[in-house]
Amino acid sequence: MRRLPVYLLLDTSGSMRGEPIHSVNVGLSAMITALRQDPYALETVYLSIITFDIEAKELLPLTPIADVTLPDIQVPDSGPTFLGAALDLLVQRVDRDVIRSTAEQKGDWRPLLFVMTDGSPSDLQRYREMIPEVKVRNFGHVVACAAGPKAKLPPLAELTDTVVTLDTSDSSTFTSFFRWVSASVAFGSSSAGVTTPVGLPPPPDEIQVVI
Amino acid sequence: MANIVKLKALDGRTVEFVDTIIGQGAMKDVYCSPDKSYVVAFFRTKQNAQSRDRLSNIVGTYREKLFNQQGGDYWKNLFCWPDSIVEWNGLLGIVMPAYQGHYFFQHGSKNGDNFGIKGNEKEGKWFASAKNRSRYLDPRELGSWQSYLTIGIKIARAVKRLHAAGLAHSDLSYKNVLVDPVGSNACIIDIDTLVVPQRYPPDVVGTPDFIAPEVVMTNHLNKEDPKRHLPSIATDRHALSVLIYMYLLYRHPLRGDKVHDVSDTQRDETLSMGERALFVEHPTDDSNRIRVKHLEASELPWKDTKKVPYTITGPYLVPLFNRAFIEGLHDPAKRPSADEWEQALVKTVDLLQPCQNADCEQKWYVFDNSIAPKCPFCGTSYQGRLPVLNLYSARKQGSYIPDNHRLMVYTNQSLFPWHINRNIFPNERLAPKDQKRGGYFVFHKDSWWLVNERMPDLADMTAGSPIKCPPGGKVELKDNQKLLLSKEEGGRVVVVQMVAGASGQPSLIGNIQSGLQKMLHRT
Repeated sequence: MRRLPVYLLLDTSGSMRGEPIHSVNVGLSAMITALRQDPYALETVYLSIITFDIEAKELLPLTPIADVTLPDIQVPDSGPTFLGAALDLLVQRVDRDVIRSTAEQKGDWRPLLFVMTDGSPSDLQRYREMIPEVKVRNFGHVVACAAGPKAKLPPLAELTDTVVTLDTSDSSTFTSFFRWVSASVAFGSSSAGVTTPVGLPPPPDEIQVVI
Repeated sequence: MANIVKLKALDGRTVEFVDTIIGQGAMKDVYCSPDKSYVVAFFRTKQNAQSRDRLSNIVGTYREKLFNQQGGDYWKNLFCWPDSIVEWNGLLGIVMPAYQGHYFFQHGSKNGDNFGIKGNEKEGKWFASAKNRSRYLDPRELGSWQSYLTIGIKIARAVKRLHAAGLAHSDLSYKNVLVDPVGSNACIIDIDTLVVPQRYPPDVVGTPDFIAPEVVMTNHLNKEDPKRHLPSIATDRHALSVLIYMYLLYRHPLRGDKVHDVSDTQRDETLSMGERALFVEHPTDDSNRIRVKHLEASELPWKDTKKVPYTITGPYLVPLFNRAFIEGLHDPAKRPSADEWEQALVKTVDLLQPCQNADCEQKWYVFDNSIAPKCPFCGTSYQGRLPVLNLYSARKQGSYIPDNHRLMVYTNQSLFPWHINRNIFPNERLAPKDQKRGGYFVFHKDSWWLVNERMPDLADMTAGSPIKCPPGGKVELKDNQKLLLSKEEGGRVVVVQMVAGASGQPSLIGNIQSGLQKMLHRT
């Protein structure tokens, strides 16, 4: 059985304190509930969560969606946004955890990556060094989400063509973002169009996609 | 409380719905009527003229052809068919009956519904996966193996009806077929993707796991390219075969461990579902077998094709699986039709034997034509003598030939008109008078008895001259006994074989096997 590894990189820098991180926690748990109610996702999805602020942390190692227990995400008072370090950790984890095909065994599906930040990388040089490393890992989709008015789009656009923006960082927009993540993850099991290539489902109304 | 939107449908009917999305499909957003008796599904994108025309035919001509005939009501349980078109805020919507209550989980997942799926739709994938069944679903939701045969019959019958009308569903999958194993129900949904050959081309290619190999192989070509294969009745047949295989064996017929491209999983997937698709149980090419060492405990024994081979589905279904996944996998013309599936599944019901192990999860299994029948699921052997009836019918006066049809006997098994007469078939056209049984079987004081309720002609012909057994009487079943069930045209004679069971004498092996050989060779 091929697994579908899903990596979530979540900004936990100081600016996420308060309502934003609370909304992320709520959104995440709603997402996990939704994925567990989808028999296709339940069988295939493995989830990993990496948080980044002054350091990158593997909050949840790659775990079958049925077995995930979600730790509450905490945020320091202030501090930088080391997204570069997070990508570095991501690459290490992908190399360690994702099963590659061999002549003997089917490997995992190409992993999905969702990055959410409300600012911009403080370690820009490292971030830029890591982008090619991420690209050769051959993700199925990379989606970057710029949450709130202070999130900068250009650095995210270097990482992926699919950048979505959330105008506000309140709970309803986060909820719709995570709902979209679950829909994207479950998308592999739904009908495929004759003309449209297999891709992401349309984002919900609250999100704008920047290409 | 959300607003209630009131609209006039294109056919003039008043349609109301609560302005809150209750569900989202790949193409549509779904709203519910205030009384919850119907739903309205709006396409998220604008529909072109052709699509509108197709939809108006689906709610109009095609629907009327199906439902406004004698026996049309039968189909209302098998299809969730759209009946009106509405427009709202520039979007086109279709009105459909709400799903019946038994298509929503009553118990949900294990441990007091820890995943919170109680009240959700019973999407087929829950039941077609060994892991979801054993690890997550509440056992009260699972039904018995008999339920899945019945579900298969209903799906095959519904697809047969569509095909008979020249329509292809084009996206049969466990997402678009609701199943209720508890009550043995099935219903085809998402009718709006219907394809009419030469008239309305498909706009979806199908759902992964169910797309026919020729469609996968040519998916990269332009829609207008003559080499491109699009969904059709032939690809529906592939999807139907996959559905039946998955509901009976809880695994996918093509998802084995053969790797076609080690560096690119997407290409590997395309090859293994398309150009190089290979049956996991192919008799001579074992390269795509499911490797047991890669499996989780929760997937066993189902994914171990040695422990639960497809041959446990019995002599009527095995030839169809062979045609679907061996001969016809890359040769669409050889695939079995929905009608053939329906007939074979109906006959297989007659081969079912209840498992004598009260804790057996599957409860029923197909008699394996052996002298020592054994449940393939839990391994429990049959104890005691087991009568098997072989059905014969006359093509010309007095000369009876085998019908390749057997009926297993167990307590409270019924003898129905379609057993008594070869011209009667248990399908949607079955007359009410033919739905009543003619007799039943019972094990009493160490003997098997056939109790006659309404077979005026029943007679034991073993000795040459008939010994009559009128309604109200009973006849003891004996080995090699010949019973005349009916003198009417198409009326049958049954020959009784008494299988010894685990503790008895293996006296009949040759007899049964040669009888079976003859049956299998009849076409």
